[in-house]
This record gives sequence, C-alpha cells and structure tokens, in this order.
Amino acid sequence: MTAVETFEVEGHIVDSLILAKILDLILDSGADYRMVQVDIGKTAIDPSRAVVEVTAPDDEVMVRLAEMLQVQGANPLTTGDAVLERADQDGVLPAGFYSTTNLDTEVLVGGRWLRAENPEMDCGLVVLDDDGGSEGAPARVRTLPMHRVRAGDRIVVGAQGVRVIAGNLPRGLSSFEFMDSEVSSEKPKALLLRNLADRLRAARDAGAKVLFVGGPAVIHTGGGPEVARLVRDGWIDVVFAGNGFATHDIESNILGTSLGVSITTGAGTEGGHSNHLRVINEVRRHGSIAAAVAAGFIPGGVMYECVRAGVPFLLGGSVRDDGPLPDTMTDVVAAADRMRDLVDGVAVALMGATTLHAIATGNILPASVETFCIDINHAVVTKLADRGSHQAHGIVTDVGPFLGALADELGAGRS
Amino acid sequence: MTVPATAPGPRPGVLADGTNAWGRRYLMCPPTHFGVLYEINPWMHTEVTVDRDRAQAQWEGLVATLRAAGAEVVVVDHDPSVPDMVFTANAGIVNGDQFVPSHFRFPERQPETDIFSDWFARQGFTVDRLPTELDHEGAGDALPFGGLLLSGYRFRSDLPATTALSRLTGVAVRAVELVDPRLYHIDITFCPLDERRAICAPAGWDRYGRKVVDALVPEPLWLEDDEALTFCANSVVIGRTVVMPTTPARVGRQLEAWGFDVVTCEVGEFLKAGGGVRCLTLSLDVDLRR
Repeated sequence: MTAVETFEVEGHIVDSLILAKILDLILDSGADYRMVQVDIGKTAIDPSRAVVEVTAPDDEVMVRLAEMLQVQGANPLTTGDAVLERADQDGVLPAGFYSTTNLDTEVLVGGRWLRAENPEMDCGLVVLDDDGGSEGAPARVRTLPMHRVRAGDRIVVGAQGVRVIAGNLPRGLSSFEFMDSEVSSEKPKALLLRNLADRLRAARDAGAKVLFVGGPAVIHTGGGPEVARLVRDGWIDVVFAGNGFATHDIESNILGTSLGVSITTGAGTEGGHSNHLRVINEVRRHGSIAAAVAAGFIPGGVMYECVRAGVPFLLGGSVRDDGPLPDTMTDVVAAADRMRDLVDGVAVALMGATTLHAIATGNILPASVETFCIDINHAVVTKLADRGSHQAHGIVTDVGPFLGALADELGAGRS
Repeated sequence: MTVPATAPGPRPGVLADGTNAWGRRYLMCPPTHFGVLYEINPWMHTEVTVDRDRAQAQWEGLVATLRAAGAEVVVVDHDPSVPDMVFTANAGIVNGDQFVPSHFRFPERQPETDIFSDWFARQGFTVDRLPTELDHEGAGDALPFGGLLLSGYRFRSDLPATTALSRLTGVAVRAVELVDPRLYHIDITFCPLDERRAICAPAGWDRYGRKVVDALVPEPLWLEDDEALTFCANSVVIGRTVVMPTTPARVGRQLEAWGFDVVTCEVGEFLKAGGGVRCLTLSLDVDLRR
C-alpha cells in the first residue's frame, strides 16, 4: 500500500543545496516525489519555499524518510479538512467553489482523504453520504457539474484539503511517449497504427470500453464502413457524434452519397444536395434510427451496426443541424449529462475528424482515459490540449484510410 | 538568489585590505566555575579533572595574546550554574547592535540564554529571540564569510533556525550539515581567515555541505582529517594574526605563506570540554549589514 505525504521546506534551500539533498534522500529511500510548488526567493536573503509530494512504497519507508527529512527542515504539510459550504440554490455553486481538473483528486473530509468519483474538469466537488444523500456522515466525494447542484448540497470551497494526484496519466504498455514531443504529420503512421491497435487490444483484454467520437468527415472520406466493422466486431463500445455524422452515414448507406457526393466515384449526383434531407425526413417518419433499422430502411453503416450490436450512441445537436434526426439530443445540457453516464468504464477514446465533439468529450473525460485524436488538421489536437485534455495523443492523417488500416490491423471483418 | 562570488569592492565584514572587519573585539568569560561536570560531546568525560588554576592561567594567556594582537577583550562574570559559559562563542550571534541569543540543545546550557540576553541588553544591544522551539548555538554554529553566515546544523542547531536567523538579521545564510559528532559545531570545521580564504575541515560536512563551501570560499585551506581533530580550525583571526589552539606544521606553513602571523595559544584544559580558542571568544564587532 503506497503512502503519500506532502512536505514543506523553507529557507535558503537552493544555495545551501538542501532541496537537492531532500530530493536525493527521497529517491535513495525508494520513494518518489512530485514538486507541487517551488517559490525561489528573489534576493539572497529571501527564503525559498518548496512543497514536495512524496509517494513511498509503504508506510514504513515513509516514516523513516519523514524522520530524515525533518532533519533537513522538511515537515509534513499539515492541512485542514476541506471547507464545505452548502449551496443556497439549485444550479448554482457557492462562490469560491473548488474548480476541478480532469485529474484524480482527493478531498480531506473528517481527517480522511476521499477519492473524488467521476473525475471531470470544470466541475465542483460535492460531499455525499454513503447513500448519495447530503446529510450525516460523509462517505463519498464526487464531481458535480454546475447545473446539477441542488440547494443544500455540501460543496468544497477553496483549495484547502484538496489534492490532485497527477500520477494517473496513462503510461506505456507499448510506448506512445516517443510521439508526444509535438503534434506532427511527420510521424511513422504504420508504427502509430500498430501501437494504437495494441492499446485497443489491451483495453478489450482488460474488459474496458472504447469510445469512438466522429465527425461527418469520417463519412465523407470513406471511413464509414471501417467504423461500422469496428463496431460490428466489438472494438467500439460507445459512439458519440452529431446529427451530421449519423445523417451522412445513413445517407451513404441508402443512397450511396455523402452530402450528395458519391462515396464510390466522388462525383456529384443529380439533386444530391437534398439527399441527406430526404433521408432525415424518412428516419423522422420512422420515429428513430432504431425503428428505421428495424423496418429495413437503413441497410448498413455505423448507426445500423450500433443498433444491431446494442452499442449505445449519443448524437449531440447543434443550432445548424438539418432535421434533426429524431435521436439527436437538442438539449445540450441533457446531452452532456448522458455523455457523462456513457463514459463510465471507458479506458480509450478515439476521436476522428471532429473538433467540436472532440472538445466536448474531452471536457468530460478523466485524464486517465487514453485519448487519440485522429485528424488531418493538427490544430484540433492542439486545441484539445489547450482546453485541458493534456492526455490527448495526436495522429495527423486522413481519417478514412487510417481507420481502414486500423480495422485491418485489428482483423475486423468486412461485411 | 546567488551572491556574486566576486562582488566589486569590499564585501560586508571585510576591510579594504581584504582582512576581516570583525574579530577585533571579544567577549570572554573567565573559568571561575569551569569544569567537565557532564558529557554533551565526545570530548567530554566527567572522570577527567580540570585543573582550574591551569585553566585560569591558560585563559589569561589567551586574553593577553588577543590583546597583544590588537584585540579588545570585554569580560563577563561566570555564573556558577553554567560551567560551559566560558565558551562565549555559543552565547549567540552579534550583528551590529543586534544580539540573537542561542537556544541550546542540552538543558545543561539552556540557562545561558537568559544570562547572556540580560548582559547584552544591559550593554544596549537589541535582543531578538529565535522561535523557542528551534535550537541554534550562536557563533559556534554560524560564522561570517563572503557577506553571509555559514551555519552548521544537526548536532546542536536545527536547520529551520537558520531561516529564522536570516529573517532576524537580514543576512543570507548557507547551511551545512555536520556529520561527525566530534566536530559538532561549525566553528570546529571552519575558520574565516580573510576575504578569500578560510580553514576548512570537510571531514565534518556531508557532500552537499562540501559543495556549498567549495562554491563559497575562493581559496580554502583544506584540513586533513587528523588535522581537523586537533581543533586547529577553532581559531580566531585579528587582522593578519591567527591565534590557534594547536598548529599542525603543514597548516602553519600555509598560513605563513599567505602572510599570516600564527600564534599558538595553549588551551588544553578547555579542549577537555571540546572547546578551543574560537569557543572561548565571541566577536562583538560583527556587522554583516555594512
């Protein structure tokens, strides 16, 4: 059982090499550390201050190390319980609420560190009883999106008694680290492909879920059938997309076009500009995608395979949607909540050719979910990282052929 | 953060000719009630008898030597309750008109804090106290060099006390961990000679401390381990005169080659308690702010 303790040291610790000594002592003892904070004094007289989080293999090592560190002036940082404040109205966090990251987070309540459930960025933290209510002995902490706050919820305010565990960023079964230097098109695609396939196999072996997030360009570039066979063969467990992805997937399977352009010849078709509208119209007549599949109106494709395999999908709506399809959720807050429910158990996320859905999904994913962003435009990966999803790996390539090669690598059968 | 190693002009604590600006006025305490009555360092053995007359004669010899070298000696009466009060270096830190009294690790010496605080207050010093929970044994564990204080810690002083000391005095402190209980104070391992030179006993320090001193002192006189154990670093410097309790031949030759006059002053009765020339004196003229 690993032991974690945070130490604080203050003084002329840089010039006197005290900090270097402390870090050496930690490593020599078999423990590891993370620098939480270093404030270097501006002048020779100003003291410097460092806060170091130490992770020891067990309590015994930690106790011995703590004694050694004390001689070097480093003492355990005494932290009080997290400060809790009751929300005074629905949908509003108390002012000064602790705003979460997507990293694993622990909260000190009643002298015990509780791991926050459902790590998600940009949320509050609510302390719950074991039964999920807000009264009595605290037993659980979870992230809480602002709109889900109910008056009386006990919300963590300020940073006291809150610590972020940064050690859960996904690290190498087969190494992707080599490609993390920067997002670039100049990477060996075959190698990336094999590594990605290994990750998907590892996820499947571990019983973890794989999430696919796709934009309409997946369909436009001929990737629809590839995603469809990944779904059919059980490589994808959850699909997030928008109205356009589903529409063009259905359109291409019924009319052979995507936004009126032939998938096979690349040529425009007579009246093709309205193809997707007619398809949406007919699906609306059936009442749902599932009903349209059941009626035989939709003969194949990603949505078809999802319905057939019972793979849950979520179509998030937007203002510019045509139709929309009856399954498209136009209440974005409800859609995000549904996405939160569906990401439970997801270990790997593949995001193909979509900026908006990738960012929306990145916002609700814990940092522990390995995220691969496949896009011809490297800016999408950069954007994702800029919005806090630092765990995202970028694969800059044409999504359609890449997904085909991925499906081949995984041995997914063609229909 | 870093103090330039070669700042233009004389640095604080150094005169224009490069000699130490301090070390010309000492507080000393006659060994009226001195004896080895307890054991708080490896040199002390209660079965060893101190010849008090001989101790008195050696002490007077040291006073005469210091005065002959041009130093002024101020005397404080010996309080009978604290035999180690003769080691005035441990009274505290003087910085201009400020006095920071020591907080002693061992109960046997703790009454000295109030005794010296009262004395310095009566002399017009401002007495600033360290936090009570932190130990620091004064000039025994902090000596000026290069415009800052080099402070030892572990056996008698706590590392966090150096931070407090820096806050109180406004002087930067470099802390060095002492590793040999026989060399339990920094003043047994380090003696500032002038602007560029110091006697250094690396045997007393851990590898980080050695690096710190190596970076701080441009021309160190490194002591061999057996030389260090003679207490030859526990010396005082008055201008160009070094007054030493013992002078290993090689050390003496090097000091003379650097232009110092070396005077060996017999203080054997005090070495029985683990103290030499430096321990018996406290520089009253240290001012690290100018």
